[in-house]
Amino acid sequence: MDFSILLDSDKCRGCTNCMKKCPTQAIRIKNEKAVIDKNKCIYCGECIKACPYNAYSPYEVNKNDFVETKFSIAIPSTALYGQFPKGTEICNIQNSILKLGFDYVYDESYAAELTSKAIARKISESEGVKPIISTNCPAIVRLIKIRYLSLLDNLITVESPMEIAARLAKHNAHENFDVCSEDIKIYYISPCPAEMLSITNPIGTKKSSIDSVIPLNSIYGDIYREVCKNTKLCNSTPSIKGIKWAIAGGQSETINVSSYISVYGIENIIDILEEIENGKLHDIDYVELSVCTEGCVGGIFNVENPFIAKRNIDYIIKNTKETFNAGISDEVFNDLYEKNFFDIEIIKEDTNKRKLTLAEAVERMERIEQITALLPGLDCGSCGSPTCRAYAEDICDGHADLYGCILLKANKKRLNSEEL
Amino acid sequence: MDKENFLKRYSCDVVANNFSNAGKGSSDIKKNLKLLNIDPAIIRRIAIVSYEAEINLVIHSLGGKLHCDIYEHKIIIISEDIGPGIPNVELAMTEGYSTASSSVREFGFGAGMGLPNMKKWSDDFNITTKKTGTEISMTINI
Ligand code: SF4
Ligand code: SF4
Repeated sequence: MDFSILLDSDKCRGCTNCMKKCPTQAIRIKNEKAVIDKNKCIYCGECIKACPYNAYSPYEVNKNDFVETKFSIAIPSTALYGQFPKGTEICNIQNSILKLGFDYVYDESYAAELTSKAIARKISESEGVKPIISTNCPAIVRLIKIRYLSLLDNLITVESPMEIAARLAKHNAHENFDVCSEDIKIYYISPCPAEMLSITNPIGTKKSSIDSVIPLNSIYGDIYREVCKNTKLCNSTPSIKGIKWAIAGGQSETINVSSYISVYGIENIIDILEEIENGKLHDIDYVELSVCTEGCVGGIFNVENPFIAKRNIDYIIKNTKETFNAGISDEVFNDLYEKNFFDIEIIKEDTNKRKLTLAEAVERMERIEQITALLPGLDCGSCGSPTCRAYAEDICDGHADLYGCILLKANKKRLNSEEL
Repeated sequence: MDKENFLKRYSCDVVANNFSNAGKGSSDIKKNLKLLNIDPAIIRRIAIVSYEAEINLVIHSLGGKLHCDIYEHKIIIISEDIGPGIPNVELAMTEGYSTASSSVREFGFGAGMGLPNMKKWSDDFNITTKKTGTEISMTINI
């Protein structure tokens, strides 16, 4: 499975809502059903949110798969901790996950704190390119790879906490439980379609250490029921710094950069990327971007409202003693860092696009402009393309024909009847 | 000018003192160049010079135009305005020198990096100025 957004074509009515919201114009309506172009999709999930008929869903997981695995490790996204009523103990949540049949639960917040450390070090060593852009939100990295190629060098070359957590969890389990690596399977509980895709199509070159992703909302009920049963107090020691990664701005705070901005929401992000491309913002060290409202707590597979989830995370942060307990000393950290344990290599996508010469590309452009001039310019979407301009491109490239435009068709009829 | 290798011109009007729209023209140029599959590093340089040029038009000129001329092996960004001209070009080319009023600076513009920056990122930089108008042309080879 390499595609994390599925369309139930019985539910889809071809209403164009998703097509209009897609930031990369990846959706077309063909034969009254939505179709996503994989090469353009950044897995932001805007379409899932926009569909009034719930036609989109993340791919189905075999829910009992982990029960049969020899040694299954669950890594819940730190965003999960914000999905329970204020005051719910983190270790209670983790115990509940264990009860579902996992052999081990690894806390992502430790990995997140180490990631912050690695990023801080990378920033201090980096020279030249500014501002540095976070790679935590895979949808953004994909957006940059599709549309802002000149900013690829601005991306920090440190993996996201999710990947780091998986690498550490595998390592720990191997050391502490005497299981061989092949028997260990890592299940990441995720609020995000883009993260789901990162497992099969990682954004860096290396293979992902995560074996499977469970959409948070598909397992939430099971965890919640256990959490309610299990009320005994326990001492959980998450990394407070790491937990901050669940909310927008938390990352930058933990990395401790002097000058940063944190932006969420796809339109806002596009604005900021434009600014960076125009050579502004070079006085800023770090730019933290997340597609979802308030950061990962706003991920679409969450169950709680993003603002309430953020409040819940804030509560945890306020009421937990600041500890750091990743079990990794500075020495070990340095060693890992030197061995590039935290590194990600951002590869340039090899688009199969036929390379046009500049003259040919200009010619194509002019044809598109000519076609656009024929169209009514209402961007109504009934042709199946998001805008008249996009429709003109589709026509030019042979993916659509001119009389898919209902207004043009009506005019033609009128002209014909006038001629008669 | 080598007419034969000329391929296309994109143009837009830039209105003096309209800060809300400042950056729109260079943004459109950038969008078009991306659609033409121009090398990202080249686009980045064009983005910077055309943005600076546009901001200059907004702040200092009485209004003007921004053009992007595409040739087979180069792109020329041309900024032309209807005045009032730059009294001392040499001074304006000095880093840090700015004639922007304080109200303009509050917008974060006019730190005096405009012209030097434009020159820095161009392969060829030309400026002619008189009271009735200034024309700046910046060539970036591809
Ligand atoms: S996930 Fe985002 S990019 Fe992909 S089709 Fe949906 S809206 Fe478009
Ligand atoms: S929003 Fe998209 S997927 Fe949902 S019904 Fe409309 S066209 Fe179909």
